[in-house]
Amino acid sequence: MGIDICRAAFVALVAASSAGCSGVKTYPNTLDKNLQIRSETVSGSPLFRVRTALSVYRVDERCELAFEGVVNIDQPKMSVGIPAGRWSYLDFTFSDPSLTGGSSSSVSRETLFRPRPGYRYDIAVSYKKDIYHVAIREIPPRGGAGREIQFRDIRACRPPWRAPTPAS
Amino acid sequence: MKNRALAALMAAAFVAGCAGKMPMNAEEFRKAAPGAFLMKSESYEVNRPLRQVAAAFQKRAPECLSGRVRMTEQSARSSSVVVTTYKPTVVVGSGRAELHLQRRHDQGVVKVYDEPPDGHYILVVDAYPAGSGRTRIQLIGPSKGHDVIYRAINGWATGENLGCPDLTKIG
Repeated sequence: MGIDICRAAFVALVAASSAGCSGVKTYPNTLDKNLQIRSETVSGSPLFRVRTALSVYRVDERCELAFEGVVNIDQPKMSVGIPAGRWSYLDFTFSDPSLTGGSSSSVSRETLFRPRPGYRYDIAVSYKKDIYHVAIREIPPRGGAGREIQFRDIRACRPPWRAPTPAS
Repeated sequence: MKNRALAALMAAAFVAGCAGKMPMNAEEFRKAAPGAFLMKSESYEVNRPLRQVAAAFQKRAPECLSGRVRMTEQSARSSSVVVTTYKPTVVVGSGRAELHLQRRHDQGVVKVYDEPPDGHYILVVDAYPAGSGRTRIQLIGPSKGHDVIYRAINGWATGENLGCPDLTKIG
């Protein structure tokens, strides 16, 4: 009985969390939407589905991160506004809560990122059969195929942070 | 829990098959692993030249196979945490591209045997030119529980999928 109660409580906790009651700060997402995120995950039971989220951090000149909030990527297409012309740190997390085993796991793909004013960024996010992929493509204002943005590790940041290139 | 049990079993079986000594480098692993219990050796060809396969290994392995994995196991009475660090190495020569992967348990698993500072070798993949723009992939690694890594490496080699394996799914 004790185990059943614990399990029921855990299920309720996860359900509440998925309903947006987790207490984690939500990214305000009030800026011009310069990121178009296309996501694809293997869908299963709603309770066992891999959840995808984007955590946004501000990067200051000392390379310190300030958490700005999380965006739950729960739609196939979503738009997000990231401040242009300054560095942010994007953390795409795929999490897999297991209710029956009481274990959980997550994996993430992270990068320093500075959008250029006027540019759009097409981000493809997928998690299929335990293989995940995040690709960022920069689309210039005049359109076209654009270019792929290389991921940049936070360890590349050395204070005072000066960008070696205008964008990426 | 399953991950830890399998990792411990594989390590014990591997050491048993290697006369009580863990391979300390990739070459020792190549010689010892194919005959060890719960290890396998397989090869296949991909329709890409070695240069492209090597470039894919160089780009994807550091991005996808480096890092720490933290697993939490919880039951009604206890919980445990296993922290594991993975380190890939890619070596590209004129006639071969190599991808090595090492694993070190930093927390939650007792180390019984001496191993290299970056952890024991869990797989070695060698790519050789196979003529006509093709490449032969020779893979040595665990026969159980690591399919997600093999599928990812196959995707990089063929160029059909550049995704990263979810290292929490190993085992």
